[in-house]
Amino acid sequence: MIIRVLLLAALALIGWRFFVRRSKLPIHIALVCIVLGLAALAVVFPESTNDIAHAVGVGRGADLITYLVEVGLLFVTVHYYTKFVELEGQITRLVRELAILRRELDERTPQAKRDDRT
Amino acid sequence: MSLVDARAGTWVVVAAYNEEAAIAAVVGDLARAGWNVVVVDDGSHDDTASSASTAGAIVLRHAINRGQGAALQTGIDFALARGAKRLVTFDADGQHDAGDLPALIAALDDADVALGSRFLGSIVGASRRRRAFLRAATTVSNRLAGLPLTDAHCGLRAFRAEVATHLRMTQDRMAHASELLANLRRSGARWVEVPVTVRYTEHSARKGQHGLQAVRVLFDYWFRS
Repeated sequence: MIIRVLLLAALALIGWRFFVRRSKLPIHIALVCIVLGLAALAVVFPESTNDIAHAVGVGRGADLITYLVEVGLLFVTVHYYTKFVELEGQITRLVRELAILRRELDERTPQAKRDDRT
Repeated sequence: MSLVDARAGTWVVVAAYNEEAAIAAVVGDLARAGWNVVVVDDGSHDDTASSASTAGAIVLRHAINRGQGAALQTGIDFALARGAKRLVTFDADGQHDAGDLPALIAALDDADVALGSRFLGSIVGASRRRRAFLRAATTVSNRLAGLPLTDAHCGLRAFRAEVATHLRMTQDRMAHASELLANLRRSGARWVEVPVTVRYTEHSARKGQHGLQAVRVLFDYWFRS
């Protein structure tokens, strides 16, 4: 079954990239291992997701996974949006400091020296 | 307080983005009248900075464009560091009249904040549609900020340095105007509206806000604070 091989390969790739390029905090490693492990289990034993789905009141395992992915995506979106707004504020503060500092520096530098620089 | 004393402690903050066409006249009028002018060039791609400087302003340059709210706050921070007692915000596109400043500053004798109102004063050259839009914006803004104003988004305003920290704006783009009013209400500072003249030219109308941008402003106001 080609799809299983592809999915498992994709999961392995995600795990590999995570460990190669990202943080090495134990909690992060554990979390990623759990998520990737569960995903791998769902790929190898697709029928087992049906049992879990029935247990929580969802018709099919595939549906349950869809719902989980939707919630996960929303969480990630909100998380990064918040970060993005925060970063914008930080950039503004930097640009502001820089603008004021540059002015003060110019006022302290004699005109001749400034002309040399440009 | 005599007008001469008033000018010494007053800083006019102008946020300018690609305004080389209008900025020299705006700064020239203010500087000739004896006001301290600080222009914050918000990452312009044209000659805004040198035009403003030649016309008599102190120029600060944002390395990258951060929006009008961010630029005004930069100018305010700078003026406060230079010992400003009173601050004025003034638009760069030539829609405001430097002649309104004495009345605005005089109003600060009995108030912490003096807000310009074109509906108490006069509007020159605005289309009927633009007026209706401005009135609608005022209604919405009054709801948001909880202040009964006749004109909520006039860029011409003056305030005392003591209330500057309470008014501090974190909205980088246009929602800063609503944010400032909300901060004003929360601070409990004394405010007054002062009639001013706003003159719309082809240039200022082109640079001004369009109806659809109101959606962006509301989005920023609610989700970015």
